[in-house]
Amino acid sequence: MQNMKGQHTKPGSSNNPLLQIKLLLGIWIGKSLIALTRVFGRGGTTLPGRMALKVAPRISSSLAGLLPEGSLIVTGTNGKTTTSALITGILKEAGYNCVHNQSGSNMSWGVASALIAASSWTGHMPGDFAVIEVDEGAFPKVVQSIRPRGIIITNIFRDQLDRYGEIDHIRDAIKSGMESQPEYGFEVLNADDPSLISIEENCGKKRWSYGLELNLSTDTFENTGRDIKTCPICNEKLAYEKIFYAHLGHYHCLSCGYKRKEPDVKLTDCKTSLDGKPLLQITLPGEEIKVNSPLMGNYNLYNLLAAITCAKALNISNPDIAVALEKSIPSFGRMELFELDGKTIIIALIKNPVGANEVLRTILGQADKINILVTINDKIADGTDVSWLWDVDFEQFSSVKDKLSSVTVSGLRAWDMAVRFKYAGLDPAKFKIEENTAEAIEVALEQIPGGGKLFILPTYTAMLEIRSILNKKGLGKPYWEE
Amino acid sequence: MAIIRIYHLYPAHLNLYGDRGNMLALCRRAEWHGIDIEVVPVEPGGRINFSCCDLLFMGGGQDSDQKLVAKDLKNHRTEMRQAVEEGMAVFAVCGSYQLLGYYYTTGRGEKIGGLEIAEFYTEAGPKRLIGNAVINCSLWNPPKTLVGFENHAGKTYLGPNLQPLGEVLVGYGNNGADKKEGAVYKNVIGTYLHGSLLPKNPWLTDNLLEKALSYRNQVFQPAQLDDSIEQQAHSSVIRLASSKRHKRRSSRV
Repeated sequence: MQNMKGQHTKPGSSNNPLLQIKLLLGIWIGKSLIALTRVFGRGGTTLPGRMALKVAPRISSSLAGLLPEGSLIVTGTNGKTTTSALITGILKEAGYNCVHNQSGSNMSWGVASALIAASSWTGHMPGDFAVIEVDEGAFPKVVQSIRPRGIIITNIFRDQLDRYGEIDHIRDAIKSGMESQPEYGFEVLNADDPSLISIEENCGKKRWSYGLELNLSTDTFENTGRDIKTCPICNEKLAYEKIFYAHLGHYHCLSCGYKRKEPDVKLTDCKTSLDGKPLLQITLPGEEIKVNSPLMGNYNLYNLLAAITCAKALNISNPDIAVALEKSIPSFGRMELFELDGKTIIIALIKNPVGANEVLRTILGQADKINILVTINDKIADGTDVSWLWDVDFEQFSSVKDKLSSVTVSGLRAWDMAVRFKYAGLDPAKFKIEENTAEAIEVALEQIPGGGKLFILPTYTAMLEIRSILNKKGLGKPYWEE
Repeated sequence: MAIIRIYHLYPAHLNLYGDRGNMLALCRRAEWHGIDIEVVPVEPGGRINFSCCDLLFMGGGQDSDQKLVAKDLKNHRTEMRQAVEEGMAVFAVCGSYQLLGYYYTTGRGEKIGGLEIAEFYTEAGPKRLIGNAVINCSLWNPPKTLVGFENHAGKTYLGPNLQPLGEVLVGYGNNGADKKEGAVYKNVIGTYLHGSLLPKNPWLTDNLLEKALSYRNQVFQPAQLDDSIEQQAHSSVIRLASSKRHKRRSSRV
């Protein structure tokens, strides 16, 4: 594998003493605040990074620059956390040490916090790679400062409109980030997303693409979240031979002829074993990889494929990839499993219509009785506008009423969610409303028999709250101890 | 049985902020009140027979969709204006609301002509007006409140003879300055609020159904509905929107 040493300037070893002092000061402030927030059981990822960036604005760039193998940045609307965790797993299997913002704190200050947490008090950076997930809005700035070796982009969907406005703006942000990547770098893009793969290639960079070549069964979801209806080149109508979900699929333009190109890395077969876990067959020019994955849900097929493609771009061996993926566990709040008094709790983050619909699809595919707790907050990290709940196909639950055994709602926006369920056709007398999330978990668990399963569907800050409630019950560990 | 025909304008293009929720609220509540609903989706390029439409619903759209829609709708301006003058009910949200006025000047200074249904104009401002909003609707007797969420760059200014939908209690409203939100002209209601708006404000949903029926000389005979969940959602938004603590944790510095 090509070592990136020497290609980076090393601001950490800069001769400018003032910059050195600022950097160290930033590290100390950051590390002290991280220690402090952990004492209070919060695992702060915002404040330490924010304060450190105030003192040393180039701290992320300096620390990331010390890593001999460089940085990999994962962005896109959905799948960032899972994809970056999978990449980290593969790199670890191949013997590399990785710095990774696994909490999903992915704004510029979250990135800084993760790097500071990994660095030593003297400004040394242990590890080979940084694997960093970055919010789409923060992506251009983070690419500029960190100068990543690899950029991995999952997809572009409609997300929190209160933050970025419209999908066109998100694409512009991603494009401008891609342009500022150093030209020795590589990029990994989803070939099934027309709005993403149509972003022009920059000269000198190696582009890797991945996509599905499968026949997936169709379902009855009404609101497919297809935000891309027109050709990214000529703006005329886009036709699809296959749609995997939302606007991801095999497409061609009826007017200008723009169409999906055959990707470098293809998922050519996917058998589902009885426990719902997929066995994947991945095809590359001249080779085939077979991978067992414990991750449920069609959307995870894309995450797995993105990680495998990134690993191939880094020349990781196939056995390392296969072993790592087989061992992978759901990341932070993404279909994460807990056991409590013989009951199973599964936390599945929801944050936008496309992602939430994929979660519903996975839950509805379960054979067992369905118990759900939906927890909706409207703080900044959740998106302050809850109107996206109306674009999620919660109507699906009303068509499986006999399978749905309990429904509880909670969170700051519990009542919005209750109205949503009522208009989705559920009988209000049948669901429980409890704004306080700790109480709501108790209420939800009481309704489940031993051996039963509770799916908790929280927004981001609600997920942090629920995880910390479960941690206090002795379930799982705070993420910084994992 | 009473019947209402709802024309859903360009559903594939105007669906930005949970507008599906508004349609769902109209359909569900009509059903609960024993009113038959026929939804007619209208796509760009087709003929729009306004004489058969009782209630026209227009949602919000992205800039690119908005332009396409404005262009298409202009071909139907005369028929639409005639129907409005005769009392057709119209409910327009955000971008579609802007379209009902005289013009919209974009951030780049481009002036897009409107449908000239009501006397107002819109100009893009330097910052987006985003957040929870609470409106007092004093046109109704007794006065009602509306709760929703707004997210718009356009600042709308009403002509002297045009009534606003309500006065802003929390939030920005039409332009962040004159404390007015939305516009009411005959049976037309335009507003910046989504959220979705209608599910959490069942009185407005019923009012739109009533307007659509009265336009066709039908009487609205409301059923006794249990709206306690909707009311709770309504008051919880008022509580959150008025809370300084919540404003702090839900606004970007």
